[in-house]
Amino acid sequence: MTRFLSYAIPGLPYGCVFALMAVGLVITYQTSGVFNLAYGAQAYASALIYYVGVHAGWPHWAAFLVAVVVVAPLMGLAMDRCLYRFIRSAPVLVKLVSALGMMIAIPSALQLIFGSQERLAPPSLWLPPTSVYFHVAGDAINGTELSTVIVTLAVVLLLSLMLHFTQIGLRMRAMSESPRMVQLAGINSELVGVAIWVLSGFLAGLAGVLLAPLFADLQSLNFTELLVSAIAAAALGSLTSLPLAFWGGIGLGVLEELLGGYLPSGSVLSSGLRPSLPFVVLLVLLLVMPGLRERWFHDDPLAGCDPPPPPTATTIGGYGFEGLMRTVRWSVLAVFFVSCVTWVPGNWTFTFTQGLAYSIIFLSIVLLTGMSGQISLCQASFAGVGAFTCAQLANHFGTSVFLGIVAGAAVAALLGVVVALPALRLGGLALALATLAFGLLADNVGFQFSWSGNGDSGVNVPRPQLGSLSFESGKAFFVLTCVALLVASAVVLAIRRGTTGRELAAMRGSELAANAIGMNLAKLKIAVFAVAAALAGVGGALYGSLQGTVSPNDFNSFLSLVFMVVVVTTGVYTVEGAIQAGMAYVVLYQVLDYLPSQWRNLFPILFGFGAITYALHPEGVVEWQKRRVVEVFLAWRKRRPEAVA
Amino acid sequence: MAFLEVRGMVKRFGGIVALDDVSIALEQGEAVGLVGPNGAGKTTLFDCLNGVRRVDSGEVSFLGRRIEGLPVYKRARLGIGRTFQRLELFAGMSAREHLMVAERVHRGDGRLWKDLLGRGRAREPVPRVETLLHELGLEEVADDPIESLSQGHGRRVELGRALVQEPHLLLLDEPSSGLDTRETADFATILIKLRDRRETAMLLVEHDIDLVRRVIERIYVLDFGKLIASGPVDEVFADKAVRRAYLGDVK
Repeated sequence: MTRFLSYAIPGLPYGCVFALMAVGLVITYQTSGVFNLAYGAQAYASALIYYVGVHAGWPHWAAFLVAVVVVAPLMGLAMDRCLYRFIRSAPVLVKLVSALGMMIAIPSALQLIFGSQERLAPPSLWLPPTSVYFHVAGDAINGTELSTVIVTLAVVLLLSLMLHFTQIGLRMRAMSESPRMVQLAGINSELVGVAIWVLSGFLAGLAGVLLAPLFADLQSLNFTELLVSAIAAAALGSLTSLPLAFWGGIGLGVLEELLGGYLPSGSVLSSGLRPSLPFVVLLVLLLVMPGLRERWFHDDPLAGCDPPPPPTATTIGGYGFEGLMRTVRWSVLAVFFVSCVTWVPGNWTFTFTQGLAYSIIFLSIVLLTGMSGQISLCQASFAGVGAFTCAQLANHFGTSVFLGIVAGAAVAALLGVVVALPALRLGGLALALATLAFGLLADNVGFQFSWSGNGDSGVNVPRPQLGSLSFESGKAFFVLTCVALLVASAVVLAIRRGTTGRELAAMRGSELAANAIGMNLAKLKIAVFAVAAALAGVGGALYGSLQGTVSPNDFNSFLSLVFMVVVVTTGVYTVEGAIQAGMAYVVLYQVLDYLPSQWRNLFPILFGFGAITYALHPEGVVEWQKRRVVEVFLAWRKRRPEAVA
Repeated sequence: MAFLEVRGMVKRFGGIVALDDVSIALEQGEAVGLVGPNGAGKTTLFDCLNGVRRVDSGEVSFLGRRIEGLPVYKRARLGIGRTFQRLELFAGMSAREHLMVAERVHRGDGRLWKDLLGRGRAREPVPRVETLLHELGLEEVADDPIESLSQGHGRRVELGRALVQEPHLLLLDEPSSGLDTRETADFATILIKLRDRRETAMLLVEHDIDLVRRVIERIYVLDFGKLIASGPVDEVFADKAVRRAYLGDVK
């Protein structure tokens, strides 16, 4: 029992922070229907400002005032006013991608402003971290832990008093039913909404400042994991109950420490499973709690009043010169190809080859998300599976790399089938989070073994060889990747043009109706997840072979999120979109490489904020700009005869 | 053996009994109405018939086969078609594509490997689809994006999508909601034609009494999940219990 307590008690401060975040998430989700994935980033912002303030010599209370009482609520307010209020009734993908964009952009923007140097020993909030106040079951309770628990309990007590005994609290609770119904009752629901976002911003800031000193240094990654834990805790409360979310957070913090204590130390399981515990919990909850699955489709009783979402435009067409467009497209490709094999310098050919490999991975997102309406946040992991399978086969069995790529695709497809199983029961946001859970499991456990990704040291992937034909040189490998991309594009196009493409579009449009006309959605989803995973696997294996050495870090979950945002921003409905995204991704990265290192943060910022355009232009920025060019051209052509006359 | 027979259907949501021991039966080609105040359980009954929801107890037999355990898509393939109260259209597809995908699913020769070998033939015109588009008056809007269609056209696309599969039983959930008087009258004309062909049995949930009287031969009345009356339309509407359910206690 003492042993149990000695493991459990250090988990309490973590639990408190998870609980604060979970409560903040549930409040905003309930009242606005937007699942704020940038919540961890908000917490990070406050923690960072507090750190910078204290290190600049401000008194702790002043830094706290600025970071938590001023900036944090303002950030919450800005999130709602500048973004979330516009997308409350938007389709799930729009909400998800916008929030993902913020989640990626905000930490980078902060590092651009405050610098990205290492920040050791984050300051404690209130009681000094070095003094020990008392012992419980052999655990020394220090100032940080004590103040975290006291502050959390005080804030939560005040919050529940406010929700239950004040006018504004009553209105907030009413908002969770339906903001528009509240408005019909003569209440300014926008104002109540503002209050809620301010409150949630404050909670995030407080959680951030409380969490920071529990780690050795201040890293944005810790706050992504904080968000993950908070989501799992919120799921424990069915995303509706504040008390359950609160206790869920506490329980999760304690459980993590218990797991760390009882699992044999030093094994991959104890080092990997502990951080992924929240996601394992979340995954299990999503799969076993039937009520929870429906909660993710936040249903406003007045949702019927919403206008239908804008049509998902695909490529520019209907202007009557598709033939010309096709000629232009193929000419550009031909010039690009010939240039790359002749005069383009080797490092740029390398960059373009990377782009082609990414394009193949991105095609899997086009197939899954654009064509089928399924959201997968673990496509980078499938790419990793492809690369590692290919590498292990080549290194241990001397298998040809070509065969290795095929095997990698096959293994990825098999895992794709496994990931498709939750997709049979989940949709939208729940599916997104479940796939993210798979990705994190792959990061922390699956890719850490010597027979898979071999942890941080990574694995070597040789270049392929076909008889006497070697693809060792950069140019030869470029040609090979081109061919692979052509084949992959042809596969996606064939699916799109065929019956399956129609069925996928129908499933994307309405699963209910697709089912009612006799479509076996289970089969369809499994097939599309498998094909998409195989595509990602091929792309990953080629990428690995190009790089020579790849480690799990090249395929981590954060990259999956970036991939999603990049593809959706550039154009998720077309094959062209995937290729443009792949090229834009590497070229931008390469260009930023010429700038001072701090400016490399611009990359996630550009794509993160770019994701917001998806809400307005679901066809993607590139298609949108093309359409604008065409329309300007048409207007010019129309005007010309008048000018002549 | 009845064409469709529901015996003792019970469906609960938590503490609420949405369907309480409901038994109905339909003959081949018959047009039957299902009426009742809001919240009476009509849509739930539809959901249980086509499999979107599982019944808690009771039997459903269709064409001599027990179907209450079958998934939605298998019931659809047996010949149960459905339209929805809140339109469920495939965003981003045209009216013609709606009918074509339904026709293809019905014919059942769409295969992934065929598409990959370029043998999909998804774009070839299908005579049956063209005939239906014509009959439903959708020819002119057949290639427009579905989002730009009116509610009236949307209802017809849903009907066409169901009919292209040649269903034996058609479940119509409030086809007149959101339509104006003329659109409703046009829709009734289509339904009457359909009824007179006697190829498809219809179960129609409807609040518009005019539409019900024009199309339907007999009705069932649900109230709070219980079947409170059934029989020919006029008789049932004269019934006291029915009047009470709809209008409250009238002295």
